[in-house]
Amino acid sequence: MRHFKTLVGKECIEEIISSRGAALYIVGCGVLSVFSLLLVSNTELSLLDNAQAVYMMSAIIIALALLIAVIRGSDGFAGERERETLETLLITPVSPNEVAIAKLMALIFSWLVLFLLSIPYLWAVGSTGQNLIPALEYLFISGTLLVVIFGGFTLALSARMKTLKGTLSIGLAAFLLSGSPILLGPSLRQSTVGRFGDLINPFANALNMLDSVVVDSLGVLFQIIPLAILVSYAIAAIWVLSMATKRVEL
Amino acid sequence: MKVIEIKSLKKSFDEKKVLEDISMTVYHGDIYGFLGPNGSGKTTTLRILLGVLYPDGGKVAVLNMDPSLDGEQLRQRVNVLPESHGFYGWMRAEEYLRFFGQLYGLQLTSADCRMRLDQVGLDPADRRPIRTFSRGMKQRLGIARSLLNDPEILFLDEPTNGLDPKGRREIHDLLLKFNREKEMTIIISTHILDDVERLCNRIAILHNSKIQYEGPLFAPVVGKSIRYRLHLADGKNIPTTWNVPGISCQEKKGQWVTCEIKNIHPDKALSLLVQKEIPITEAIQVNSGLESMYLNFTAQGKE
Repeated sequence: MRHFKTLVGKECIEEIISSRGAALYIVGCGVLSVFSLLLVSNTELSLLDNAQAVYMMSAIIIALALLIAVIRGSDGFAGERERETLETLLITPVSPNEVAIAKLMALIFSWLVLFLLSIPYLWAVGSTGQNLIPALEYLFISGTLLVVIFGGFTLALSARMKTLKGTLSIGLAAFLLSGSPILLGPSLRQSTVGRFGDLINPFANALNMLDSVVVDSLGVLFQIIPLAILVSYAIAAIWVLSMATKRVEL
Repeated sequence: MKVIEIKSLKKSFDEKKVLEDISMTVYHGDIYGFLGPNGSGKTTTLRILLGVLYPDGGKVAVLNMDPSLDGEQLRQRVNVLPESHGFYGWMRAEEYLRFFGQLYGLQLTSADCRMRLDQVGLDPADRRPIRTFSRGMKQRLGIARSLLNDPEILFLDEPTNGLDPKGRREIHDLLLKFNREKEMTIIISTHILDDVERLCNRIAILHNSKIQYEGPLFAPVVGKSIRYRLHLADGKNIPTTWNVPGISCQEKKGQWVTCEIKNIHPDKALSLLVQKEIPITEAIQVNSGLESMYLNFTAQGKE
């Protein structure tokens, strides 16, 4: 891991300087601006309970973070392969594992930037409520774990697949699939299938955890199971990534 | 001393045989030309030698290491200029060299970077991002990157692509300098036969997934003469009759002398001239017949 610092530095700078990286942040800020404006000014939405508004905003931030992790993760190896920069990197004495971990760290860095950018928006919709600080804490924890999970799996896919288009299609499909239980509505989510789906879905686990912290004001003891599930997924994602990048062929 | 040894190397992609029973040897200090038509497997072979592609069969040893197992250690001691060397367009030339230098464990100062840029004919004061560079400038920067770790073996895939004649000449001179002064072994994969004639002492011609020829660039034929152009350090006071058996001078222009070598190995002839204290700084074979040799070997069978 002797090249770790150099690689992480390059990936993080690229994340900020490159037009693709900057565009994602601008789009993210645009989306957050629209939703926070709606939550404070729309006649119906402004009637929502303050905690409910913070929860909704947190869910949008998490969804944005995942979308960025999937797009940037897909680009990790497949994009570099297409831009022909991967060969130049892999012909140096670095191991593909080091490159993969550096790229995962850059995804986490990207999430941290988004998290910092989202704080003013959360404050705008929830500063008068009581659960803003726990919301920020759990948003940070669950967001980081979800970025490791989704970013790790898409990076692994990106290392194995030859094209960015293919990797991105699968990554986005997985993202939509993990978001689908939320779209089912409360009654379907209460069914056995819905409950099982929620249990194995990391995205749903993160949202349930935020719901219980922000809306129901439940303590840390109630968050152990969803947290354990998220941590297990994160460990699995790192393991899959390290296996997939043991040997990366050009 | 052998620095690369390949025996019965095999590689297929989706059941298409790209390399079939390839064997070749490269010795320390060689400038080895690796020739073959497009898609003949040159780049695949180079990637296997670097440990970024894994063979289906056969034995490969580079600096006594197996690239599939010791790839990282090996890549610390060798370097490559790939044909399609993608650049991080947002970096500046100096940042680019510093970044890759760090990957080789080098902490390059600004002065180091500037010296290396100057060495390949790039303006060290140029602060533009790489994406604005011309193809030739990128090629020069790629060469500067590939020389960063003073490699024991340098692999070059189409090194003079995109360079004008003057640029090509400068890169030739730079490579010859590194080969002579640092005893760097250089493997050149190219289509430009002039590069091979000017630089290489040994070649391999790859065609139809097999090595069709491996050996000296110009296998001397008894009874057949070979013409050389010799560049002399001081052309004015050199007589054109040297009294060396088998060597006759044909023409003298400035510091260049064209001579004919017959019934004697060119290496032997040149060393005899050096023994006679003739200040030869460069020797280029003229009209070598490499083109017809190449066409002859690659004309067999289907492309």
